Amino acid sequence: MAAWVKGNAADKDAAVDAAATLLATAHTPVFAGLSAELAAIRAAYRLADRIGASLDPVAGDGLYAELGTIATGGALTTTAPETLGRADTVLVIGNRPWDGDLVAEIAKSKPVRGRAAGEERSVLSLGGPANGASRHVAYGVGNASLDVAIGHLRAFVRGNLAGEDAFGDLAKRLAAAKFGVVLFDAGEIGDAGTEMLLGLLKDLAETTRFFALPLADPFQGRAVTQLSAWTTGQAPRVGFGRHLPEHDPWCFDSDRQVAAGEVDAALWLSSLPSPRPNWLGSLPTVAIVGEGSADARPETAEIVITVGVPGSSIGGSVWNERRGVIGYVPASGQATADTAADVIADIAKKIEQKGASC
Amino acid sequence: MLIRIQGGRVVDPTDGRDAVGDVWIENGRIVAPSERTPDRTVDATGCVVMAGGVEVHSHIAGGNVVMSRLLLPDLYVSESAPNGHPFAHAGGSGSWVGANYAKMGYTTAVEPALPPSNALATHLELADIPLLDRGALAVLGNDDHLLQILRDGEGKNAVRDLVAHTLSHARGLGVKCINAGGASAFKDGVLKLSLDDEIPVYGLSTRKIMTALLDAVEEIGVPHPLHVHCNNLGLPGADDSFVATLDAAEGRRIHFAHAQFYAYGAVDKENPLTGGFRSAAERITEAMEAHPNATFDVGQVVFGQTVTISLDILRQFAGRKGANPKKWVLTAGDAEGGGVVPFLYKPRGGVSSLQWAIGLELMLLSKDPERTILTTDHPNGGVFTEYPRIIHLLMSREEREKEIATLPAVVGERSSLPTIEREYSLSEIAQLTRSGPAKLLGLTDRGHLRVGAKADVAVYRDSPDRTAMFSRAKLVLKDGETIVEDGEITTWRFGRTLELDVEADAAIVRRSEAYLQDRFGQGLDSFAVPDAAFPETENFEDVACRA
Ligand SMILES: [Zn+2]
Repeated sequence: MAAWVKGNAADKDAAVDAAATLLATAHTPVFAGLSAELAAIRAAYRLADRIGASLDPVAGDGLYAELGTIATGGALTTTAPETLGRADTVLVIGNRPWDGDLVAEIAKSKPVRGRAAGEERSVLSLGGPANGASRHVAYGVGNASLDVAIGHLRAFVRGNLAGEDAFGDLAKRLAAAKFGVVLFDAGEIGDAGTEMLLGLLKDLAETTRFFALPLADPFQGRAVTQLSAWTTGQAPRVGFGRHLPEHDPWCFDSDRQVAAGEVDAALWLSSLPSPRPNWLGSLPTVAIVGEGSADARPETAEIVITVGVPGSSIGGSVWNERRGVIGYVPASGQATADTAADVIADIAKKIEQKGASC
Repeated sequence: MLIRIQGGRVVDPTDGRDAVGDVWIENGRIVAPSERTPDRTVDATGCVVMAGGVEVHSHIAGGNVVMSRLLLPDLYVSESAPNGHPFAHAGGSGSWVGANYAKMGYTTAVEPALPPSNALATHLELADIPLLDRGALAVLGNDDHLLQILRDGEGKNAVRDLVAHTLSHARGLGVKCINAGGASAFKDGVLKLSLDDEIPVYGLSTRKIMTALLDAVEEIGVPHPLHVHCNNLGLPGADDSFVATLDAAEGRRIHFAHAQFYAYGAVDKENPLTGGFRSAAERITEAMEAHPNATFDVGQVVFGQTVTISLDILRQFAGRKGANPKKWVLTAGDAEGGGVVPFLYKPRGGVSSLQWAIGLELMLLSKDPERTILTTDHPNGGVFTEYPRIIHLLMSREEREKEIATLPAVVGERSSLPTIEREYSLSEIAQLTRSGPAKLLGLTDRGHLRVGAKADVAVYRDSPDRTAMFSRAKLVLKDGETIVEDGEITTWRFGRTLELDVEADAAIVRRSEAYLQDRFGQGLDSFAVPDAAFPETENFEDVACRA
């Protein structure tokens, strides 16, 4: 591993010691990023509990739109393999789902399980790029935002609106599905769109089987959410300032907290790639970053410690997007690097030795 | 270290013990009384000494439990924790689960729903439950691979090999089937399913799937019998499903999950779904007496707000209409998925009062408490921390009468509870919560206090207030180490996750790999639960198959 303290190369002990001092003397520390293997996230939760920090995964807008909708209305979901295996009707909403390979895979295959097995699959899009890359029937949204368009479509599905409108046709196609799936990115359609879509799915479920397949964020947000839920009973974002877990996505938004001058130190955990927060250079920060990454350099933060990267220099449990579960990826070669979990545990131990009161 | 627990009333029904005496412990095991001077003597005068409690069916980990927390962030209250008690006061967390079981004197708990498609996350969550030994039951009965093998009539050995491999790869302790075929049928448009109804596409029935699993479990020698969640949970007339399923077992060992939810006889046999229900506890009890091969856990209902968590997506989908508050989650997963539906058992409500009465009736009518395990199907019937109150009701007719007096008349009109005089003895409570569940899980090293048992021991201050007595144990030892004193956790340690030691046939491994690659684009590795995923501890402990 490599480490730097205030731009100077340091050995691991010195860097851990400096990190412990920085975090132990902070009044309101924040842990951000959390784009890492589960063991490291777990260690971060334990250290946050110990020193009263708050935690804010980088996972972003989609995660909170989804979590907000679950808490207010619930969810009606399926998996990517079930979509590929069973769906006779797939509705793709917005632009973001077209970025990955899944839509093309859906468009070029047929259902093989269940009552639609062997039938053609109908791929529909709402407000998509309509670039003709994959076989599908496109429905535009005009000047409407996606949430408004989903609401409009829902009115047709409910029978509140009727007619030869394109949305009337789309609503009929959805209602005729044997196993339908809506593919979307909650961050793109927003809180209102996600809630409206849940309503649409619940309406469709009255007469047929229809489920959502929300795309996962690429920064371990879903793995963080699971661990957070079983560790604290709450989804992220979570704060431990009062020595009990408090779930508050607004209050513990690290960007907001930093901008408001509410925090005086940070730990940025990113053993897997994630976008750098813009406050990294200005707020006293311990950056725990993947070795060999672009951030593995002295300028990244006040204290920088490099660690193993799951799936290459270490093994670890990470989000498996295709399967929609946490899966274990072994090291690709001989595992040698220090793990982020060990480094965080060492920092915790050092803080304990220093007898920091909190 | 030699420990002597001295002068307590030692209750161990497996040894015919219910008298004042001593329990000796050394190196984490119960040992014979010793001539040597003990290193530690616990004065248990005025106390009751039992083996640690064993939980067979409590939803304490897995994707649906996680989802229940996201759906109902306010269901459990979090409190500020003293230093050194990481997350134990975080309501509904894994630490909270471990701490609250331990305070009641429980030392082992089994999660009944381990989906093979999400085994790693379930085990990671279980591993974060402190203090207890844990285990989980691998769920089978709706996955396409198994249903294909059954549809194609490949025979018993093919089924056995797939079950053995799934169980071993998911690292389960036993096998459970949940409305077998129901999730598959639901995805194909079916909304009601009984034992012999056809599962679309496969031409199978619940009976065919379940009996194949019953055979496989026997062939493999899984100590825990097939854990069965029947069709038609919670519907008037569900008693027919229970009895038909029991008959279908044809003498093979079978465990029924949360029997209370099936002890509902239809009032109007012509219109079962609209005429309401009456207790079928007597019918279920008679059927159980005629079938010594069967066991059940109760699934007692507790008044108040809770959330129902089940892989029975067919029934959970129907249950969405009763969601309170009005929100719910349904996941059409890679086999079952799951349904999470909040529910309020209305205090003094007619339906909930009858459900409450039926659960108690089942336990009080039972001639064999060892085959009648205490559960609330946590959190489906209510939270497991209500066990002490339920024990109190079982042990005191007076306490029951007080409660019944506050409830609507339907309790007496549609159940026999008010006429039952029986009061459970401490020995019978030990059968219901210790020896019964341990035997059922095939865990011969616990649930009793005979020489050689694990030193999992609970000491309670004897009191007519059984609720208080069983809520906060005076002392709890896990593997001989003190974890609770005076109802508070004193040592944070971790138990093990119990897994069945079962070998998989090489041919089925190759076949599963090919099947999974084709369906998921990923193979067995993506379903694996490797030791390396638990870097801090040695997480697993083997349990042997039946000889
Ligand atoms: Zn259950």
